[in-house]
Amino acid sequence: MTIGSFILKNALRNKRRATLSVLSVAVSLFLLVALQVTLREITLPPEDIGAALRVAVRNKISLANPLPARQLPIIERVPGVETVSPFTWFGGKYKNEENMTFAQFAMDAKKLRRIFGEAKMSEAEYRDFEETKDSCIIGKLTAQKYQLKVGDRISLESTIYPCSLAFKIAGIYSGTIDDRNMLFHQEYLDEGCGTQGSVGMWWLKVKSIGDMPKVTETINRAFANSSAEVRAESERAFQLSFISMMGNVKVFVASICSVVVFTLVLVSASTMSMAVRERLRELAILKAVGFRRRELFALILAESFGLAMAGAVLGIGGAYLLFTYGSVPKMTNGVFVVFEVTPKIMAIAGLVASVLGVIASIAPSVSVARMSVVNGLRTLD
Amino acid sequence: MGPSGSGKSTLLHIIAGIDRPTAGECRVQGIDVARLNESELADWRNQNVGFVFQTFNLIPVLTAFENVELPLLLTRLSRGQRRHQVETALELVGLSDRARHLPRQLSGGQEQRAAIARALVTDPAIIVADEPTGNLDSHSANDVLTVLQSLSKQAGKTVIMVTHDPKAAAFGSRTIHLEKGELLGRDET
Repeated sequence: MTIGSFILKNALRNKRRATLSVLSVAVSLFLLVALQVTLREITLPPEDIGAALRVAVRNKISLANPLPARQLPIIERVPGVETVSPFTWFGGKYKNEENMTFAQFAMDAKKLRRIFGEAKMSEAEYRDFEETKDSCIIGKLTAQKYQLKVGDRISLESTIYPCSLAFKIAGIYSGTIDDRNMLFHQEYLDEGCGTQGSVGMWWLKVKSIGDMPKVTETINRAFANSSAEVRAESERAFQLSFISMMGNVKVFVASICSVVVFTLVLVSASTMSMAVRERLRELAILKAVGFRRRELFALILAESFGLAMAGAVLGIGGAYLLFTYGSVPKMTNGVFVVFEVTPKIMAIAGLVASVLGVIASIAPSVSVARMSVVNGLRTLD
Repeated sequence: MGPSGSGKSTLLHIIAGIDRPTAGECRVQGIDVARLNESELADWRNQNVGFVFQTFNLIPVLTAFENVELPLLLTRLSRGQRRHQVETALELVGLSDRARHLPRQLSGGQEQRAAIARALVTDPAIIVADEPTGNLDSHSANDVLTVLQSLSKQAGKTVIMVTHDPKAAAFGSRTIHLEKGELLGRDET
């Protein structure tokens, strides 16, 4: 027998309790990882160089309020602006689906490559999209989901405008942070749904990163005190403000994480206390035969740590396997395309498990250290 | 020997270094054990004292062999040396054939013999036994007392046993009577 096997036998002496303890840690850490990944995904800044040069211009009142199309030439003339495109939410339902399952935006097809250059398509597809007014392009994930291919025709019924539009798929793109969207011609939307004169928002590209602050400031000032004041901001800032519309998600998720960890500490500490309390006499015997306080502390710590780490392996490993090899869009009903369990998130969860193992062992260790052999023997005799 | 509440177990605990006297000193092998700190006392117990309790106090998840091996985990002995000492101790108490059994698979007498093997596996000078036959039938009690007697007579161990059973006391070479915390006198055989 070794000290290790002695610890293992002690930890597994009540198999049901050990299993439930490990599972409670595992489930909690799984939840912690899921929340951390969620937080990361929704606050992840766009990392491509194109994103650093993109500016979103929306109505200052709300994203839901449209902007007048007459703003276009004014924005185009702002020094530092390379190109501008409208970007209008269509909100169409595909076939007989109850809800909208992928986003559709109307834009200036000829500006697509210059503003959203990361969308990868063949030259022929790009050209076809630019030249055909009723064409559209769709992301790879949506194409896969509905088994659509280039040349197919689809029809969408708008939930915003009183119209339906039919499109010919000119291309299927990939390589963006969200390969689900559909893009089509603003001109086609205007003609088909009578939306001439207004757009949802503007996306523009600045010539250099250095131009960004000046461009946003100039645009904001240009429409100040007009009937449609705007808020121009970088893509990163836009994304964060978009998230903030859902409330303070970061604080909300952090609060849930804290509750999860705190509950976990209580459950683990309680489990370890019970495990130690029911064998106080045995620990007294160990003391009698020569085990010192620090050795008993090490035994309890190792047991507590072992249970926590077993839970960590199950919970973190399970989350990693599920989110890495499972179909995230299907699991999240299309809310998330990727759900990456990064090494940093796994390390944080592992650290939580380690600290948990240590904290859970402190109270029982202290009580065992304080207990005299005689009292330990009497307690349960 | 002495009636309940006379202080037999307390005296035994003080001699064994698991309790401290409220006053005075207790010298064992020339050492005032009450003056040792917790850590020194733990080492001293591991090297000098073996315990046998009325309720056996074996660890239920460990086999008889592993229970006996327990005090040796604190020593620097190799696995092979530990095995040799455990086998010797189990042989001395006649329990070699039950080495791989868990305590619940042993009879009361066998459990107590395993406890005696655990007490002597570190080759201590002193073995303290607190009512070692209190939970045993007369046949098993005889077996256990015979083992303790042979440890004293043949292995040269100092066996200090507390009992209120005159039959058990008869196995000792010296009987000391205790009442209300005071030694009354002693018989020698």
